[in-house]
Amino acid sequence: MNRRDALSKVAILMGGTLTAPTLMAMSRVGEKPASVAGIADFSLTDTQRKIVAEVAEHIIPKTTTAGAKDAGVPAFIELMLKDCYKQPEHESFLEGVTNLEKSNFLGLSATEQVAVLKKLEAETNELMKTYNVKAVKVGDNVDKESMDAKKKGVPFWRLMKELTLSGYFTSEAGIKASFVYEEVPGKFEAIKLKPGQKAFAY
Amino acid sequence: MVKYSLILSFTHSFIVYYMNLNIDAVKNQTFDAIVVGSGISGGWAAKELTEKGLRVAVLERGREIKHVEGYETATKAPWEFLHRGRPDNVAAEEYWAGMRTGYTANEEHRYLFENDKQNPYIEKSGGMDWIRAYHTGGKSLLWGRQSYRWNKADFEANLKDGTAIDWPIRYEDLAPWYTYVEKFAGISGTAEGLDVLPDSHFLPAMAMSAPELAFKKGLASKMNRPVTIGRVAHLTKPTQQQIGIGRGSCQFRNKCMRGCPYGGYFSSLSATLPAAARTKRLVMVHNAIVSELIYDEKTQKAKGVRVIDQNTMAVTEYYAKIIFLNAGAFGSTSILMQSKSNRFQNGLGNDSDQLGRNIMDHHLGVGAGGTMEGFDSDYVFGNRPNGLYIPRFRNWGNDKRDYLRGFGYQGGASRAGWNRGVGMDGFGADFKESLTHPGNWSIGFGGFGEILPNPNNRFTLSPDQKDRWGLPQLVFETQFGENELKMRKDMANDMAEMLEAAGAKNVNTYNSDKTHIGLGIHEMGTARMGRDPKTSVLNKHNQVHSVKNVFVTDGAAMTSASCVNPSLTYMALTARAANFAVEELKKKNL
Repeated sequence: MNRRDALSKVAILMGGTLTAPTLMAMSRVGEKPASVAGIADFSLTDTQRKIVAEVAEHIIPKTTTAGAKDAGVPAFIELMLKDCYKQPEHESFLEGVTNLEKSNFLGLSATEQVAVLKKLEAETNELMKTYNVKAVKVGDNVDKESMDAKKKGVPFWRLMKELTLSGYFTSEAGIKASFVYEEVPGKFEAIKLKPGQKAFAY
Repeated sequence: MVKYSLILSFTHSFIVYYMNLNIDAVKNQTFDAIVVGSGISGGWAAKELTEKGLRVAVLERGREIKHVEGYETATKAPWEFLHRGRPDNVAAEEYWAGMRTGYTANEEHRYLFENDKQNPYIEKSGGMDWIRAYHTGGKSLLWGRQSYRWNKADFEANLKDGTAIDWPIRYEDLAPWYTYVEKFAGISGTAEGLDVLPDSHFLPAMAMSAPELAFKKGLASKMNRPVTIGRVAHLTKPTQQQIGIGRGSCQFRNKCMRGCPYGGYFSSLSATLPAAARTKRLVMVHNAIVSELIYDEKTQKAKGVRVIDQNTMAVTEYYAKIIFLNAGAFGSTSILMQSKSNRFQNGLGNDSDQLGRNIMDHHLGVGAGGTMEGFDSDYVFGNRPNGLYIPRFRNWGNDKRDYLRGFGYQGGASRAGWNRGVGMDGFGADFKESLTHPGNWSIGFGGFGEILPNPNNRFTLSPDQKDRWGLPQLVFETQFGENELKMRKDMANDMAEMLEAAGAKNVNTYNSDKTHIGLGIHEMGTARMGRDPKTSVLNKHNQVHSVKNVFVTDGAAMTSASCVNPSLTYMALTARAANFAVEELKKKNL
């Protein structure tokens, strides 16, 4: 195998850098149209809602700036799952949240909760490796991500992390707390990064 | 009755007066010229024909969208979109073709694209991504704005390699018209003096970031290949003419596809239609679906068009001395196909049986990416609506491959945003804080490959499946050929090689085997230009060989595809054809 062949066989695994924000795992290039019919109506119990809120707050806690709960992330997660995801993710998400419910997640101390989530993250990383995640450029400025997790659904932890981050960093509170928000930059120029400088959001 | 808006006057704050007129009299439905479609080529036809003194009706099948106030999502903040841009399941089902692009069905953009479920088409063999935009300005509101002249070899390639038929024009025929349209549209870029990518008349170029400049320098020194900033139809330093028409400088928001309230990029709404309206000889008719051309056996010309109002279903006729078809390649060709008469039983101008054949696009979804190290202290201010361009180098000069033609690349470098956190380990306060700073630099380029004309890549009209207006649905048979598939291997590997040579690390290639013709939204072919009426539909003036007062100047006219984005060439072809049409009218040849 020459160097070129070797290169072409390398998949871009998650954990690498994606150049565009279209990293939603559910985008599948070239897929046939799916039908909305048959999607289970997704909803959470009150206990499950509390678990989702606690997990989201562990991912993006309140510090000197707003946390996930302040930014309305828990409600966003449920809305997104209901409106934008289908049965495989509804099932994998519910499986994950049910597992936490069974292990009395809400009754654990904060330190214990962190330990549970760290273990969950390690397990999810192993699972994701088998899903063959790839980034594909499909337009002038558009990348998409594809993966083989069609039947099983994207794992709970990955969904939680993706939806918590997107819910927080696209919210008004999250953007204004985290970035330098420039609605109308008016110019484009190369600059030097100052120590501790925040990223720009547009 | 077709509701119609008579544009009487125009100032740069875009004041438009409307009159709703109910007119039966034939004389009031008679114009010097009819332009079907208000997209990138239709806007140019309207501008040129009205400025040359003709009274012109532009028939737009979609709804009216007004410049600035019609751009519903243009100034919305990220949090103002319910799903933060993401298409919901209902939208994903309705915009099933748009979903394949990954961006047209998003909440920011969806209002400017058509609902595929309500506007069905049939994929008989292979896949076809037919992305449509039915409203004032058409896809000119949504295009990628990348603007490149074809080179001399592009016009000679079919003849030299024995593919399809020869173009009836050469670069020299189009060069003055490229200059003409560039001066009005405003193309920003850098002159490079390359044969493979002829320079345009440029506005000042956009800047490159530090790692992009390093990549450019590395590629020049290691492989002697040029990299240039994307040539893009954005105003970086507007001329008095552009300011006079109401356009302003690009604001580097990169939210172009929502519509630009500054007129920063070229569209029919920001530029050509206002210019046409200023003459007071433009009548815009919306909701007007042209079902067919009306052929007059005696004069051997088309005397007008038949129109279905998309809302009321009322049928109206409009008459004119000349008719420009600018309905998008498949739109224009399907109108010709539907125009059946005793003389043209298989569609108007279809003596060659070439109508609907040789569908082309640019194939993409293949390239490479990597990381750029050593630029931790470099960043950029502004959201550049543009990238870098690597011109074609394969089958150019002494290079010979086992396939025909070539490809260019578009891409660039950027620092990772908060979304890098999704695939990173960790959570909590430090994790949250770290994501507020720019991440590592990555660099990536995707290829845009030339698709060869192939008569078997075609569409026909369905004999039994109709749309909402009783017009036949389009049936597509479109497959990539061996030439495209061979080329894709180079498109991935060459990019990886260049990235490594220029110093990128962690280089990876990709080559999606799930893309279709149409994904580039560069629909071309189906009513090609040529010298011989036996093998082509249009002559060297974009004039239907057998019906001289009908012109087709959108993507349908293309005889081959080049590897560069096509819109600038449509603009030049349209301005050239409009000039010819008016001269012929003056000579009483039409």
